[in-house]
Amino acid sequence: MKRIVLLIVSLFLVLVFIGNIMASEKGNSRKGKYVFRKNCRACHMEGGKAKEMSPIDKTQAQWNAVFAKDKYKSFPCKAEWEKINPEDIKDIYAYMHDHAFDSPSPEKCK
Amino acid sequence: MTNHADAQLSRRSFLKWSGAATAAVAVAGRSPVLYALTQDKTKKSVSKAEEKYSVCGMCFNACGLVARVENGVITKLDPNQKFLKSRGMLCARGNAGIQQVYDPDRLKYPLLRKGARGEGRWERISWDQALDYAAEKLTQIAEKYTPCGVMFTPGSDTQSTFVHTFAEAFGSYNLTTHESSCLLSRNRAYLDTFGEVPFADILNTKYIIIVGANPFEAIITPDSIDLMTAKKNGCKIVVLDPRYTKTAGLAHEWHPIRPGTDMAFFLALANVITSEKLYDKDYAEEKLYGVQQLTEHVNKYTPEWAEKECEIAAQDIRRIAREIAAAAPTAIVYPGRRTSDYVNSTQMRRSMAIVNALLSNWDTPGGLLAARQVGLSKPRLPDAPFYESNPENRLDKGMAKMMFEEEGSYKHMRDAIIAQEPYPVKGWFIYHYNPLQSAANRQKSIDMINHLDFIVNVDITMSDTAWMSDLVLPAPSVLERHDPASGLQGSSACACVVAREPVIPPLFEARPVIEILKGLAERMNLSEYFDFTVEEYRKQQLRLLPDADRAIREDGVYYNPSKLYGIYEGKIYKTLSKKIEIFNERYAQMGVDPMPVYKPPKSNPVNQFRLVIGRNAYFTHCTTQNNALLCELESENTLWMHPLSARKLGLEHGDLVEVSSSTGKGKLKVNLNNGIRKDTVYMASGYGVISKGLNRIYGKGVCIAELIEDHADEISGNMAMHETFINVSKSK
Repeated sequence: MKRIVLLIVSLFLVLVFIGNIMASEKGNSRKGKYVFRKNCRACHMEGGKAKEMSPIDKTQAQWNAVFAKDKYKSFPCKAEWEKINPEDIKDIYAYMHDHAFDSPSPEKCK
Repeated sequence: MTNHADAQLSRRSFLKWSGAATAAVAVAGRSPVLYALTQDKTKKSVSKAEEKYSVCGMCFNACGLVARVENGVITKLDPNQKFLKSRGMLCARGNAGIQQVYDPDRLKYPLLRKGARGEGRWERISWDQALDYAAEKLTQIAEKYTPCGVMFTPGSDTQSTFVHTFAEAFGSYNLTTHESSCLLSRNRAYLDTFGEVPFADILNTKYIIIVGANPFEAIITPDSIDLMTAKKNGCKIVVLDPRYTKTAGLAHEWHPIRPGTDMAFFLALANVITSEKLYDKDYAEEKLYGVQQLTEHVNKYTPEWAEKECEIAAQDIRRIAREIAAAAPTAIVYPGRRTSDYVNSTQMRRSMAIVNALLSNWDTPGGLLAARQVGLSKPRLPDAPFYESNPENRLDKGMAKMMFEEEGSYKHMRDAIIAQEPYPVKGWFIYHYNPLQSAANRQKSIDMINHLDFIVNVDITMSDTAWMSDLVLPAPSVLERHDPASGLQGSSACACVVAREPVIPPLFEARPVIEILKGLAERMNLSEYFDFTVEEYRKQQLRLLPDADRAIREDGVYYNPSKLYGIYEGKIYKTLSKKIEIFNERYAQMGVDPMPVYKPPKSNPVNQFRLVIGRNAYFTHCTTQNNALLCELESENTLWMHPLSARKLGLEHGDLVEVSSSTGKGKLKVNLNNGIRKDTVYMASGYGVISKGLNRIYGKGVCIAELIEDHADEISGNMAMHETFINVSKSK
């Protein structure tokens, strides 16, 4: 029984650790804003092919979910996503997360 | 970086023409042209008067007005009766807006500094010369120190948005605003409690506690007018202030609280409300996060304990707690506006926000209101470039625990520029901002200026900060401007849109900042980011409001009939817990006290007084004191002091006294009255100017920035301007 508890606690700690890595590996939020505009806004804009998008459209937890590993594969823009280099993706994540709906500095307006 | 490489004018060619230019102009000189523009009273025949809508710019409130124009001259400003935000009124400053237009002290032409900074020797130059020179200097700094080597400081103005646009295209994110000398700690506290910064529904409230705010003098529309109406309708007003302000004078109760102890009062209020279970349990269960933790946390903060700190009787604290709880949810702790007072200002305002949360007044009549939908759209502008050479962060990054990224902190930015750490900043673009008057420790601002290579300043008059600049560019008054649309929140009165059209063309060579920025952009290969007219910009702003353009033309204002109460019905709060956070989850994660913990303020050193500052109904910080009409109402500031304190110093009413702190000193007259605590003195802002371009007030009074030491709120980085103790003695 003790072993099972230890295993669960260990697993929990590993997950927390992974979560922290995710957070610490966030890229450059300023560059993310630029990269987002350059790569995504052609579609994610008013009157565009996809829904207009801003960091304040989601909570930080929701952005974590959007940028979770391989999650993008279920998105309609999977092909476009794969063309963006991983460093740029990190930067976009940093921009979205740091200015989310419930962040300390929410994006002011769309 | 390549964007900055092509400025046309070299330093050599600039010197060549400047050397041949006319002799230095006297800034302080009066121009007969201005007098020619005023109405000739000997003429009896007057052509048909026109009436034109505009929006006041004498302070941040932006109240609607109607300008009467006769023979091309503005002869009167009246309130726009259809403008609900100001309840159809215009204050003394608004009426005096006409004197701002025809002020002989207005800047008339571009001026280039000829002597040392602050010496006051200027040379009139052409706009082309001015823009060429500014573009060259900004480019040089960007090339040598990266674009972040230039700091931008736009003030509170409709066209400041274009300064943000320019800074982004230029590549600097070292931008800070007046807000970090004003209200950021309030914003931080309410954002971190409710998820957004509220507006107070004063008109419909039945009980209001006002602390560290003075809405009957420091006018906020519609709050100031609504407070009077609410009082007539039976609202009880309780004021806590070390000074007997006009608001205190018209309140039902005034408690001269010991400065810096406001949190003790509100924690004690929370103690009574939680221990006596005076809050709405169902509401708390559904919408509040952390009531149980708060109940335990404030257990020790009894009214009897608070009395020793704030010097308000325990029985009064208990009574006020019960009264306001009984009036809930139509009851408010007024969030106020300027909260740049103490080093724990955010936590102090958190304690007030928490009491508001216990009153279950969010999003309800007579309580705190969420922002209403105004409906303006953000214009689509070209995406700003990204400059790989730039440092990763703002200069002031990390200097406060939770600074607003887009606002920063003037105080911290200044410290970093002087230290030249983490990297050098050598240029400064200033628009409609005057920290040498409005920000603590003027000498330190001058020290910062001495670390800069180039300062360009755009303003209407020769402010103190303009006086210390290298290139001064004349801006028009708001009555001469074509502006983008502005969305305004007017509490329960309205959510509205206004947009200015010129009432008269710009006088002299004044140019709006949008034209100045376009001129610079053109010279710095940044034109693509300013490829629009104000008309086109506004059209994009109004694209989802089909009726707005007509309403603004016909009535001077457009009202969006958007929802006022119940905006949050069915919605989550913008906090980590998705509820109103009495216990702040993010603070806990960051090692910040998740609920306010009381720390007593510093005690007065022997024979020193705590300095508090403020303003009256006819002055806006430091911008209206030189106005021809308004300066007649108060031509110099005085030092408020209690008669018993004065007696110990051998002072009589009206005596000239010397005041000093660790940062500076000055002389002004003492004003003895019982309306201030014995341990506290008060001065109004806006005097003691160093600029000889402000003829009416030069040499009068003492500047608050001279005396106030530079402290900052630990969480938001907002300036803390009530932390200074000063010496007072009779002037010899």
